Amino acid sequence: MDKPAIQTSKLLPSLFEHIEEEQRLTVLHVGPALSETVDFFANYRCRLHFIDLFSELPILASEDTPSLHQQFEELLSIPAETKFDICLFWDVFNFLTGEAIQAFLAVLRPHLRPNTLAHAFSVHNVNAPQCNHLYGIRKIDAIRPGNRAMAVPGYAPHSQRQLKETLDCFRFERSVLLPDSRLELLLQARL
Amino acid sequence: MIGPSIIIKGEVSGEEDLHIQGRVEGTISLNGNQVSVGESGQVCADIQAKHVKIDGEVTGDVSASENVVISKSGNVRGNIVAPRVTLEDGANFKGSIDMDPSAAASGAAPLSSRQPANSPAPDIKTPALDLKSG
Repeated sequence: MDKPAIQTSKLLPSLFEHIEEEQRLTVLHVGPALSETVDFFANYRCRLHFIDLFSELPILASEDTPSLHQQFEELLSIPAETKFDICLFWDVFNFLTGEAIQAFLAVLRPHLRPNTLAHAFSVHNVNAPQCNHLYGIRKIDAIRPGNRAMAVPGYAPHSQRQLKETLDCFRFERSVLLPDSRLELLLQARL
Repeated sequence: MIGPSIIIKGEVSGEEDLHIQGRVEGTISLNGNQVSVGESGQVCADIQAKHVKIDGEVTGDVSASENVVISKSGNVRGNIVAPRVTLEDGANFKGSIDMDPSAAASGAAPLSSRQPANSPAPDIKTPALDLKSG
């Protein structure tokens, strides 16, 4: 399998524009911990929370499972006092139903600040092919996609309009169209 | 060294380096020394040391005064606090990592660089179109 090329990011630098030299960052990465991301953030005073929802997919509600809210409370297990400065949502919304995204956000919302910024990958066209990548931050304006060992189940991407409606605690600041009808998004908390 | 067939339950402390190939449950406190968990090592304990290297399995919080390295065969469930943390490709980690490069004794990249060192020239793919400025 070919190794995907490193891709530049127009929006990633925006996450760090207002970071003070001595500021302590709290970062949520919804995905697997990769060496490059840890190396990148090693240059900051920071706390990184890695929550790999991809390994828990599909996350669905049924009679035999706890409610989606309960499932996300357990999966996220965020300490009560934690407030995130930066959230990284790379592809995850493509694998969650609208109902699951809302439950995820309900659990996350108490841990956002009014100025929390988020970076996400989504799709521009819901017919965009499934992208089985995982991502590491190579440098402040470049991301290295890697190939997952196995395809992630439950791919059902949302249109940008649907996502805007569902992500009600975030405002869409900017979006950039990427190859293969994918989107790069910069979001700011809207509490 | 704790050999592959050894199981320890309780508090492990001392003033020398420790290599674990067996199983430890409880706490490990070797504040001025190195703790290494070998590929066959299974630790279900909080670890405090100067350096920690993990090639095996650890469930528990890890605190190091200098650095923590999780190798490609390492599998860690817990929270890590250390000035420097290195995760090798293939390492399996679930939890949080608390880092402070200014506390590292040496080798920390200057904060102003804001990017990892040793970055090879990348094969850059540029985004096609900026849809919206808000």
